[in-house]
Amino acid sequence: MVNKTSLIELKDVTKKYPLGNGEYYQSLYGISLTINEGEFVAIMGPSGSGKSTTMHILGALDTPSTGTFMFRGKNITSYSNDELAEIRNREIGFVFQSFNLLPRTTVYKNVERPLMYGKVPPNERDQRVMDALRLVKIEDKAQNFSNHISGGQIQRVAIARAIIMDPSVILADEPTGNLDTTTSHEIMGYLQELNQKGRTIILITHEEDIAKFAKRIIRIVDGKIISDTKK
Amino acid sequence: MEYNEIIRASIVALKSNLMRTALTMLGIIIGIGSVIMIASIGQSAVAYVNEEFSSFGTNYFQINPGQNAFSGIGGGSSNPLTLDDAQVIEDAGMENIISVAPFAFASTRAAANDKEIQVSVYGVTAPGQSLLNPTLVYGNFLTDADSNSRVALIGIDAAEELFGADINPVGETLRINGSRYRIIGLTESESDLTGGFFNSSIILPLDIVSEQIRGDDELFEIDVSVANTDYINQTMDDVEVLLRDARDLEEGTDNDFNMTSFIDSLETINSITSLLTALIAGISSISLIVGGVGVMNIMLVSVTERTKEIGLLKSIGAKNNDILTQFLIESVVMSVIGGVIGIVIGILGAFLISLAFGIPFILSIPWIIIAVVASTLVGIIFGLYPARRAAALSPIDALRYE
Repeated sequence: MVNKTSLIELKDVTKKYPLGNGEYYQSLYGISLTINEGEFVAIMGPSGSGKSTTMHILGALDTPSTGTFMFRGKNITSYSNDELAEIRNREIGFVFQSFNLLPRTTVYKNVERPLMYGKVPPNERDQRVMDALRLVKIEDKAQNFSNHISGGQIQRVAIARAIIMDPSVILADEPTGNLDTTTSHEIMGYLQELNQKGRTIILITHEEDIAKFAKRIIRIVDGKIISDTKK
Repeated sequence: MEYNEIIRASIVALKSNLMRTALTMLGIIIGIGSVIMIASIGQSAVAYVNEEFSSFGTNYFQINPGQNAFSGIGGGSSNPLTLDDAQVIEDAGMENIISVAPFAFASTRAAANDKEIQVSVYGVTAPGQSLLNPTLVYGNFLTDADSNSRVALIGIDAAEELFGADINPVGETLRINGSRYRIIGLTESESDLTGGFFNSSIILPLDIVSEQIRGDDELFEIDVSVANTDYINQTMDDVEVLLRDARDLEEGTDNDFNMTSFIDSLETINSITSLLTALIAGISSISLIVGGVGVMNIMLVSVTERTKEIGLLKSIGAKNNDILTQFLIESVVMSVIGGVIGIVIGILGAFLISLAFGIPFILSIPWIIIAVVASTLVGIIFGLYPARRAAALSPIDALRYE
């Protein structure tokens, strides 16, 4: 029985990667976790712990080798590429550590792109793009090219793009990895604000002070969850 | 996804590597450019030949003695055409025949103004003169009343040799075989094909050539004008029967004369020229394939360079088809732009060549359409493999790519 507020549920998820010589590298060993709507979860772990693999599976970018991935009560483990693309477009907003924006493209066009893939009518887009940019206070840079703005501004644009389709969850993979402390806190402030408005945030980080912004911290070591604590 | 947005993004992507894009396009530009240029010149050549032939008119056919059209020029054919043959055709009174024009030919020496030159002499009747269709610079043409008079039309080059340039020779006297001929007109033919020949010739009344220069009634050609060219072949068949009968040719033997209509010749020349044009254009299109391989190569490089970008697009919801469309359009945009530049260069090249050789310039719309379609197809065919490779990338592998 799925909890009615449960958004994401991983059950005994493993992930193996073929090494090419008939052998496999196993990244995850039976991960099980449930994330409810409105949560702010930080997934922590050292390099090679499997936290990024977990995030890729949670983001429907990758599929588990075994186990199940339930999203809004539906088992999406065996979804086709196009069905997963649809989930990524409508339900998940990504903020990566680097290479967040399309090169040679304006801030506006970057934020608009998910609306194009989501087939949102052109007459609705301008309002939505500008609202999203205003939310992260970067509307004045709308026509700037993505290579003409600072690192902090790039992350703000990435947040604007992540929320443009009004997704259920925002997945932020080391979103402050390349930023100074002040800018990092500013970015985390935006994520916190989104969470306060009811949006689910999943944060992947190895920095303790960044993880403190979250309400729940899941620690992964060697492909297994070693702790799951709520504030 | 909207195509205008993808096209815009493609142009931006292509502009970001301008030199590379230009070099890749070069193959397409050369391929399309050469096809357009050759096709255009081929069509110009057809138009030129048509124009030249049309100056003689296409509403007649010619009869020559012997097996081919030129056997009569040198004379001495075993069974020559004579005025009797022309008379037989004339007397038959066929409905489609307007006029019968016999021609005699002789090569002789002509003297005037203390100079003597070797000239070709045409013996013509009034209808024959109109078929030769020379332009009269000075004086008058021959008339029926001149048929037994020693009067001559002189070609402009022959006149220049005898009397000097820019002189009106009308009224001057010409001596041929000891007889004196009064020049009544100066003619000029502007045909590139035959002008040189006619301009250094002299035209005399047919009877005069037969009786006083050749000394026989042998003809080198009989031209028959028809009223309706649709029935020209039927008329030719009828005349053939008539002539075979008149010349006592037994059934089963070959004709000892030959018949040609300009319409036939024109159609043959046109089809040969068009075939050659298509053949050469086809050969030049091989360079298009080379251009296409260049497009494929650079698109593969582009897919590799933009692997992370593909991963990012997939993470925000791009489906495989969206990625495929984007890269395919990029390769089509590149080859179509190359194609358009090639068309412009090809047209320019054809124009310059037609200018240099004095042939008409023809802009071939069907070939331009073919070129646009061909360059689009090159973009699709050679862009498909790289685009499919881009689309097939797993989002996570693409995002992780360094």
